[in-house]
Amino acid sequence: MIGYRPGDSPLHRAHPYTPLALAASLLLTVFACGSPGAVGAVVLAAVVLAAAGGVLGYTARPALALGLATWVLLLVLHGLFGPEPFVAAGPLGVSAPGLRRALVLGGRLTAILVAFLTVLAVVSPARLVDAMTDRGVPFAKMYLLVSTLTLVPRLRVRAAQILEAQQCRGLRLGGSPLARVAALGPLVLPLVLGALAEVDEQVLALDARGAGRPGRRTALDPPGDSALQCTMRWVALLLAAAAFAAKFAGHAL
Amino acid sequence: MSGHAVRLEAVSFRYDAGDVLREVSLALPAGSSVALLGPNGAGKTTLTRLLVGLRRPRAGRVLVGDWDVATKRPDEMARRVGYAFQHADQQLFARTVADDVAFGPRRLGLSPDGVAPVLEELGLAGVARRHPYDLPAPLRKLVALAGVLAMRPGVLVLDEPTAGFGAAARGMVVTALRRRLAEGITVLAVSHDLEFVAETAERIVVLERGRVAADRPAAALLRDAPALEGLGLRPPTPVRIGLALGLPEAPVREADVVAALAGVRWLGRPV
Amino acid sequence: MSAPLLRFAHVTYRHAGAVTPALADVTLEVTAGEVVALAGAPGAGATTFLLVAGGFAPRLVGGTLDGTLHRAAARPGIVFAAPWTQLTGLCQTVLAEVAFGPAGLGLPREAVRAAAERALERLGVLHLAGRDPATLSGGELQRVVVAAALALEPDLLLLDDPAAELDPAGADALYALLPDVAAAGAAVLVATPDTERAARAATRAVRLDGGRVVADGMPAAVLAETPAARIARAAGCPAPLPLDVDALVARVAR
Repeated sequence: MIGYRPGDSPLHRAHPYTPLALAASLLLTVFACGSPGAVGAVVLAAVVLAAAGGVLGYTARPALALGLATWVLLLVLHGLFGPEPFVAAGPLGVSAPGLRRALVLGGRLTAILVAFLTVLAVVSPARLVDAMTDRGVPFAKMYLLVSTLTLVPRLRVRAAQILEAQQCRGLRLGGSPLARVAALGPLVLPLVLGALAEVDEQVLALDARGAGRPGRRTALDPPGDSALQCTMRWVALLLAAAAFAAKFAGHAL
Repeated sequence: MSGHAVRLEAVSFRYDAGDVLREVSLALPAGSSVALLGPNGAGKTTLTRLLVGLRRPRAGRVLVGDWDVATKRPDEMARRVGYAFQHADQQLFARTVADDVAFGPRRLGLSPDGVAPVLEELGLAGVARRHPYDLPAPLRKLVALAGVLAMRPGVLVLDEPTAGFGAAARGMVVTALRRRLAEGITVLAVSHDLEFVAETAERIVVLERGRVAADRPAAALLRDAPALEGLGLRPPTPVRIGLALGLPEAPVREADVVAALAGVRWLGRPV
Repeated sequence: MSAPLLRFAHVTYRHAGAVTPALADVTLEVTAGEVVALAGAPGAGATTFLLVAGGFAPRLVGGTLDGTLHRAAARPGIVFAAPWTQLTGLCQTVLAEVAFGPAGLGLPREAVRAAAERALERLGVLHLAGRDPATLSGGELQRVVVAAALALEPDLLLLDDPAAELDPAGADALYALLPDVAAAGAAVLVATPDTERAARAATRAVRLDGGRVVADGMPAAVLAETPAARIARAAGCPAPLPLDVDALVARVAR
């Protein structure tokens, strides 16, 4: 569900730095915006980004699921309990500044979720590694970043295996809350211990293959880049910087 | 303690990628010992997963004793079928070997007295208080097997039980299985270790592309070098010795070939 | 007699926090061209010996080393039993995975690719070059991992039960490769419970027990626990015991 999904969209085919820069720009800009209108525009831009990656449906579901509860909470907290209510019914009221605040915060969350999920979906960790190697990024830094990206799918596979093994030993899933808590040990411990043991061996194997060696690594299949993409990335990041400059100058969008 | 009969009736199973088992019918009488052979992708592991209810057949029935596996959850099937996975590290989690082996029996409500004898049987008494992950891989695999045996199931399903084992560990597994077989427990083992198969199996079923390609007495197939070659395997050492020396009926077990060599005169440096 | 690639002189190694040594007073030498089989019960010290020989212990795993260890080998390569833990996890294709080692040398792209393809060819898995490592079977993956180690042309190749995940044909092919690697000028050390295959490939065998070297010599003497050797011993065959069927049959008076 969450993670890289192969595809053939312009974002998939682009140099991995491009969707990263575009998403980063959106994330930065949305924090520089203060009005529901501007935030809404950024959310729209994030949705366009997801559509460009062909992953709109796939990002919409988690974004909605994760965002919905927060939206409701925000609307209640700020909208109903905010300052200067224009309709009042006892302690409750509908507050215009409160509603504005809720829309801004909720919009920011939505923009972040959609942009982040889009990047996870369209940027293949392996291709990103190739791109970073080509630009001279040392292996150790890459390993940390990419391992984090691939952590969830890897753990999920292991967790499924562990679940099967423990069920065959009589571990029953579901049941009372107490039973569920008791079931966590046999499910989580092998996951953690196994993962730690694996890391030990991996460190040795990779060290032997020169992972720790200083110096520039050869990128075997570096993704193609273009002047257009390079320009797009710079423009996007400069716009984000401009938005922040405007905010600090007192002219927040 | 006695075992259950296992029956597969016209069982079919498929993953998204395609058919894995096509109308497989197989009957394992209670107390029988069967080895399952076949190339990778033939469906061997899938078949074993069906026996414990980790997968449900698309068509056909899987019966363990009088239980239809489709009506049971895997943790319920654990009362009758013990499954030893190929990779032990999927299930080890307790602080000590003894605690880990006791996990399954505790789930089933069995007495904890059964744990110590099983540890003894597999040579693990000396490491009973150690943390499983501090042990080398072959010992971890034996710990996982001990956990399965301690549950006293009526059917044992083993996936490559001797992979990575030396002669000593293999011998302990053979002895443990023979003891269970003598008690009437049914054993199904997926294994390409033909020395192990020779010592424990009375019947060999070969799966190819999801169908039963052969179902023969173990001794017969283990002596059939061309048939084994088709599977990328060679007859076990006792058989090869017997064939090379022209012994009247090539013995398949070590003890038998040793007995057959009883009157032999050896060349070489005298003691 | 060439200078030794590896010289242990009274080496004692303890894991971090351990009282009992994992290796105790080990003294031996290994030269290029040797294939040395390391035998011993699980926990006897064979794996630890490999880690110390390759310079991975204590450098990466901690612990304390006493005695003198001289390693002339510039590029030790190491292969463990479980293939999945030895992948970078960052490579989309088998070729990229195997090329990881050479890519770190800063060679031009074509040279890196050629080294990777050569290594894959040696293991008979060149046809897997474009595949995603995550889709391979255990046996295929282990061959890829060995190729990845060989791609750097190590002068000291250390293997810990390398064929554990392989079927018999695959295991035969892997062990058959070891003498070739040694012939090219490397020293090969393989720790394994598979005494029969080790005996076929090895020029020398060392047995460890409780971290000590208890035997060091010809495979025929040290590895006498293959099925054929056991059968011969039980049937009254005098020493030296035959290690395989052909050797046993040759000892029977007709």
